[in-house]
Amino acid sequence: MTEESFTLSELNRRVKNAIRDHLPDTYWMRAETSDVRRNQNGHCYLEFIEKDAATQHIVARARGVIWSNIFQMLSAYFETETGQSFTSGLSVLVRVSVEFHELYGYSLTVVDIDPSFTLGEIARNRQQVLKQLEEEGVLTLNRELELSELTCRIAVISSPTAAGYGDFCDQLLQNPYGFAFYTKLFPAIMQGERSESSMIAALEKVFQYSHLFDAVAIIRGGGAASDLNCFDSYAMAVNVAQFPLPVVSGIGHERDVTVLDHVAHTRAKTPTAVAEFFITHMEKTASELADLEERLLSQSRSVLQEEASQVRLLTKEVVHLSTLLLQKERALVQKISDSMTYVLGQRIQDQVHFVETTRQYIRMVSPANVLKRGYTLTTKQGKIVTSLQKLSPGDTLETHFRDGVATSVVSGVSSTPLSETN
Amino acid sequence: MHTDMEKISYTEAKKELTEIVLAIETGELDVDALTEKVKRASELILFCKEKLTRTDQELQKILDDIA
Repeated sequence: MTEESFTLSELNRRVKNAIRDHLPDTYWMRAETSDVRRNQNGHCYLEFIEKDAATQHIVARARGVIWSNIFQMLSAYFETETGQSFTSGLSVLVRVSVEFHELYGYSLTVVDIDPSFTLGEIARNRQQVLKQLEEEGVLTLNRELELSELTCRIAVISSPTAAGYGDFCDQLLQNPYGFAFYTKLFPAIMQGERSESSMIAALEKVFQYSHLFDAVAIIRGGGAASDLNCFDSYAMAVNVAQFPLPVVSGIGHERDVTVLDHVAHTRAKTPTAVAEFFITHMEKTASELADLEERLLSQSRSVLQEEASQVRLLTKEVVHLSTLLLQKERALVQKISDSMTYVLGQRIQDQVHFVETTRQYIRMVSPANVLKRGYTLTTKQGKIVTSLQKLSPGDTLETHFRDGVATSVVSGVSSTPLSETN
Repeated sequence: MHTDMEKISYTEAKKELTEIVLAIETGELDVDALTEKVKRASELILFCKEKLTRTDQELQKILDDIA
């Protein structure tokens, strides 16, 4: 063996020198972050990976480091610009120097970062997920659900220790209207790599008990910047979109509208705002009830008033009509009675007149009266003599005068009657 | 026919209440029916108000018991 050989360290040193000679600058590199962690010195260690766009298989990998002083500066800048903490699963554009260490091997040292690239990637990813959801026809499913009028049983997906969860419960349970709310926490990890699967598991748990709830709140305490990756995930979104209960999101993010916010029934900015949303909904329900109560009272009152006034009207009419009828009848009776009195009077007068006339007539033709007028009445042996035929001379006659009787003897009879015209 | 209040939901109660109010407003009830319906409506209102504001301990316990 005459060929030259190296020890490992000698070879590694050669590699190191070759890299330094051939890649002496810093380079802008696009990659995805993975396994981001900080040690106690504040240095940040991570993995850069690249996935095949179609298969999602990892096609390249490199260790990376951001030294503490650089990291403090870059992470603050990154968070301010993106509203997103520097964490795993991000597509980043970083400026790196390429290092090779004899003992630790290949790594990339980050010296700068371009947050706008990440923002663009996040936005692009969101658009892509939303587009996919739309194509699958699930994008608006949860938004189309109707929040039930009495929405008071809330399943809460949150980290149990988050301040936002406490705020949410306080706000809801101490609402000033005294509405009865019920909350049940379904704990989930709300950031980091495990958050996606953790939240989906929590959703599945709620699903098992969905008959006990009216709505789901997915909340997360605020904080300046945070890991929003899981809220942009397709798997999460597709679960939320198809969830049978309305989902209200309140993930404490002012600036971004995540995919979750898009597919949720309602998006609120903070947990407190989610509580407000539920309280406002109850207020609406309560005021609809109050309105119905008011309508019921005023309407039934007015129906009764209407009825009462109709009864009054009818009473008046009955009195009026019966009075009228009585008057009419009374007038009729009066008229009959009047005409009877009149007719009877007439009759009586007629009779009185008749009697009087008759009486006068009778008086006139009575023998006494006739005698008074100079006539006499002749009788023979008590019988009235009206003709000569029964008379003979020598008969005794009684001549009746007004004032007495004369007795005479017939001396002769001649039949010449007294002239009528005399 | 009167439904047992134990089995009725808020939405059902509200629906029935709305129907009664509409019937009164359109004047299709006589006074006898009105009295009956107003009585029923008052029960429904009370039921709904309680649903809104009275905490059901039993329900809270059921929720608390979910492991």
